[in-house]
Amino acid sequence: MTPIAALIDPVTPFSVPFMGRPLLLLLALAIAAGTVGVLVNLRRLEFSTDGLTHAVFPGLVIGAAIGGAAGLMPGAIGAAVVAAVVLALISRRGQPRDTAVAIVLTSFFSLGVALVSASGGGSGSLSDFFFGRLLSITWGDLGVSLALIGIAVLLVVLTARPQLYAAFDPAGARRAGLPVLALEVVGTVAIALVVVAASASVGTLLALAVVIVPTAAARALTRSLAAAAVVAIGFGAVTGWLGLWAVVQLAVLGVDAAPGATVALTMILGYLVALAIGAARGASSKRPAPAPSRAGVAS
Amino acid sequence: MSAPVVEIADASFGYGGAPVLSGVSFEVRAGEAVALIGPNGAGKSTLLAGLLGLAQHEARVFRVPSARGEIGTLPQSSEIDPAFPVTLEQVVAMGRTPRLGLKWPGRADKRIVADAIEAVGLAEHRGARFGDLSGGQRQRGLLARALAGEPRLLLLDEPFNGLDHGSRDALLETVRRLKGQGVALLITTHDLDLARAVCDRTLLVNGRQIAFDETGCVLTLERVEAAFASHVIEIDGHTLATTEHHEAAHHHHHHVLRDDDAAAAPPR
Repeated sequence: MTPIAALIDPVTPFSVPFMGRPLLLLLALAIAAGTVGVLVNLRRLEFSTDGLTHAVFPGLVIGAAIGGAAGLMPGAIGAAVVAAVVLALISRRGQPRDTAVAIVLTSFFSLGVALVSASGGGSGSLSDFFFGRLLSITWGDLGVSLALIGIAVLLVVLTARPQLYAAFDPAGARRAGLPVLALEVVGTVAIALVVVAASASVGTLLALAVVIVPTAAARALTRSLAAAAVVAIGFGAVTGWLGLWAVVQLAVLGVDAAPGATVALTMILGYLVALAIGAARGASSKRPAPAPSRAGVAS
Repeated sequence: MSAPVVEIADASFGYGGAPVLSGVSFEVRAGEAVALIGPNGAGKSTLLAGLLGLAQHEARVFRVPSARGEIGTLPQSSEIDPAFPVTLEQVVAMGRTPRLGLKWPGRADKRIVADAIEAVGLAEHRGARFGDLSGGQRQRGLLARALAGEPRLLLLDEPFNGLDHGSRDALLETVRRLKGQGVALLITTHDLDLARAVCDRTLLVNGRQIAFDETGCVLTLERVEAAFASHVIEIDGHTLATTEHHEAAHHHHHHVLRDDDAAAAPPR
């Protein structure tokens, strides 16, 4: 194959396992984006999700201290689930949600920093977790991540209808007797599991991008909920694949770009394109007298 | 005479501190509409919250439907994001959720949802995005959501506020039909004409119960004046006002008084 063909070949790079595994993980995360990510978007939980990415930190430190690299994932899962429950409970005690998130974020993160400094500095695997190790994940890591994503997607799909009610009209859901607090805990735990799974690939600091950007882009392009979910999955899959492909091409050019950050930037670029398309469509559809939504109503 | 769906005796309602409303005894029978009337801050919203278990109560007798979905509600206003990507049909289908739990809706549920949309006269809008509907249509949509739960008891909080004449007549017609189907209704309103039009009995409150009887007997000058002691109200063309709060008259029109009841709203 000529160098030029290799440069534009979209498939071959992924036939080797160290590229195939990250691609598989990013595709699974795309499915999470179209389910768990939609829940985050509808409930405006972006800041909570950010809080969860930071809350994972002390779990990593404790996990590393107990089990080395093998302890990272269990530690992260434990911390994320605890943070998710604490978050849901604090916001229920009359604190504004942003206050609750800020408290959980800072307390968990500073606990992590204190633990690291007490134990004499971080290890290399900790920085892996912050910035991801997309190209070096093992089949074992991938298996755990896929299992976490599977559980998270299942939790959201099973509770989808009451979750939708609680997101649309929380006061109405409470009046209707729905278990709003339990729904919130289930939803936040699902988000936490995806955050941990995404941490393995793009790192905790960029996990937020994988969870929220595809749905944000989909909302810019679509009006219906089902379409938003489908577009978010497609968006996550395409930008994930494009991002990895960019990593390969940059490596060929001799640029050693951080894979997780490259994927996140690709998603942001895709989001900007989606915003532009949405805005252009909105502008062109405003010209005919009745807006398209009204026209649909009248028919 | 049909069985009471709600039976309350010697009840007080509140949020932990001193009761907001006390000395309440009333009942609502199947197929009956009861009007709940009182000035702002009288405890009407607290009473509704108490029936739903969202406010505290102490009572000698306290019987309300307790199974999920048996009480439907129509709030005074809802904080709903107009950009939320749901259709009217999806919103009304939410009304089935309390009965379905985690089950997915079947054909019967879909028919109930379609009937509820039909009942409020919005069949041609069922595919419209909820946020694109007018205020009155959204309110009717939320009523359809309550109906989709097939409630035994329906709590309507100021349902006639801000409705144009057409929507008002349609809502009155819906209330009559629901009564015919045996649904018990408790309706808060400032509009005494509407109370007379559809409500068999009236519960008049202002921090305590002033009266509970046939609507015509309750809505007398003396009793309404007692309930609205520091407010202004028109009844049968007479303007009632006490010496305090005269300036409030400028804010109120016709028979309709605005109800903010913010202080009595359940805490989030």
